Amino acid sequence: MARKFLKYTLILVGMVLCTCVAANALVFRGPYKSTPEIDSGMAVSAFTLLAGSIAVLRVRRKK
Amino acid sequence: MSSTILPTHLLGRLCFLFAIILFEYMYCFRGRTTIPGHLKLFGIVTDTYGQIPLFAFFVFIGFGHRRLKTHLEEIPFSLGLFVGHLLCIAVVLAINFLAAQSGLFWSSFDPSSYIKSAVYLLGTALLILACLPLRSWIVAIRSTGFLSLYAAVAGVAGWLLGTSVTSLWRATSTVESGMMQRTTLYAVGAVLRHFLPDLIVDPATFMIGTPRYLVIIAGGCSGVEGLGLVLIFTSFWLWFFRKEIRFPQALLLIPCALGCSWLLNIVRLCALVLIENAGGTEIATVGFHVQAGWIAFILITLLFSMATLKIPWLRKSSSVVSGVATDAQGCGIDNGTDAASELSEERGESPAIRAYMVPFLSILAASFVSKAASGYFEWLYPLRFVAAAVALWYFRPELKKLNWRFGWAAPLAGVAVFLVWIAPTLWSHHFAISRLGPALAALPLADRWTWIAFRVAAAVVTVPVAEELAFRGYLARRLMSRDFDSIPFTGLTALSIALSSIAFGLMHGQQWLVGILAGLAYAFALRWRGRIGDAVLAHAISNLLLAVWVLGFGDWAQW
Repeated sequence: MARKFLKYTLILVGMVLCTCVAANALVFRGPYKSTPEIDSGMAVSAFTLLAGSIAVLRVRRKK
Repeated sequence: MSSTILPTHLLGRLCFLFAIILFEYMYCFRGRTTIPGHLKLFGIVTDTYGQIPLFAFFVFIGFGHRRLKTHLEEIPFSLGLFVGHLLCIAVVLAINFLAAQSGLFWSSFDPSSYIKSAVYLLGTALLILACLPLRSWIVAIRSTGFLSLYAAVAGVAGWLLGTSVTSLWRATSTVESGMMQRTTLYAVGAVLRHFLPDLIVDPATFMIGTPRYLVIIAGGCSGVEGLGLVLIFTSFWLWFFRKEIRFPQALLLIPCALGCSWLLNIVRLCALVLIENAGGTEIATVGFHVQAGWIAFILITLLFSMATLKIPWLRKSSSVVSGVATDAQGCGIDNGTDAASELSEERGESPAIRAYMVPFLSILAASFVSKAASGYFEWLYPLRFVAAAVALWYFRPELKKLNWRFGWAAPLAGVAVFLVWIAPTLWSHHFAISRLGPALAALPLADRWTWIAFRVAAAVVTVPVAEELAFRGYLARRLMSRDFDSIPFTGLTALSIALSSIAFGLMHGQQWLVGILAGLAYAFALRWRGRIGDAVLAHAISNLLLAVWVLGFGDWAQW
């Protein structure tokens, strides 16, 4: 029961933070230039690098 | 209409529908988080109530997918309703275009904003019915019992919780607000006092720095975005590899990762102030400020994922659940540890991935370092070339086995891609403004041409080889099979070509659409004769012509 509660709580908190982060990153900042904390242009590169690195590190050992 | 491209079953169609809605919403309401603007819900004036359906959908799919996936009957797709939906979206985009042309940023209470929202909602309703007829919705709701009701309640609860959480880093009038900002400010101050005797810390305005430069630690700078991203990644990772990971031990890694994220943000802010204090304002604010955050996130998540996969204490040792142990015994495997590693190996990537992906990943990693150390001018760009060249040299025994020959079609494809790439510029007779040209002009002659030589060499040699190996050589085939290296290039499917081209296009930022078209052209060049040499040459020709265009006409924005 405790594990189930922990699981659901984790999912909910993760979702909340996910959308808060997205909302914060996408919030309209007007015509002024600012330096964003999360640069969406870099996000694709960052997640590609992360996913690619994990894929390479999870390589199967040769038998 | 029934198509093999679209998911035909209930669960897949629901996910497809949600992905389309999310994409269109982000695209149609880019720069604004709501439809149509601020509203008062539950006594809270907010602009984030779009989160409610987002939460509700995740809860509905997350907890109902087991039941939903049992419905395997083929669901029809209404082309007529979908065309109606496309017309509505076209109207919304036309309104956006007119707003952009007139240079206006419409306010939330502008009547035209409500018209746009109404058309958008109508279009979305048509899409919902096009993807899933009413009968399928009834089936989905009936088969999941009260889940749809719970999902709706969870959507509202999640949104309320999110609104409360946001106050932790968005300064408002409440006493609790700005807690993260304040904690971060004090932590950064405590560290910097050892380096800067004249440090100024102002908790009222969240300012920190020296008399020469002051930095405001805004809500986003408090590290909460990093914490959010790390929490999302770690939660997803533990869930995805739940059969290989030992619980509850692995849960300990989450607070460790969050702690690392917060500490690295403190280090980032300290370094930011120190760089600015040393006179590198442009590097600090333009490059380091953003790049350091991403570098920290990648490092933390990589360490986290490796810890869950490599540390025996966090791995399931007494057989990855009994089911796997039983299967393993049936295969002649003696104990659970072997079964766990066997499962991990089965799920792992083909060893060939290294030669295909490492050169491209080297370029990406070098670009993060290079940009972090640069301002508007990326003076360290040669690092990208060197990183890729070293990786390609290291994997040359594997790469030599590929077919590097090429035919006449490759240069033609390269020229075609180049023409498409510069078509918007030719059409508008206008070069976009770029800081690269003036920055290069300010350099001494030898430095300028050394930088240009590395830039051209990277564009013509290392980038085409690394990107073709990654996107066409690996990704396009990996989308078809885990053992991607066993698939001939002539066997690429339309879907794998399309998806890998979309990924390729997204890597090109604002030029994503032309990037997708270029990816398609290179993929077809590769598939035609099944030679990687054709795709690489086509890519190299495009980049070479673009380099000539940039250097010849001074259109620096293309670089």
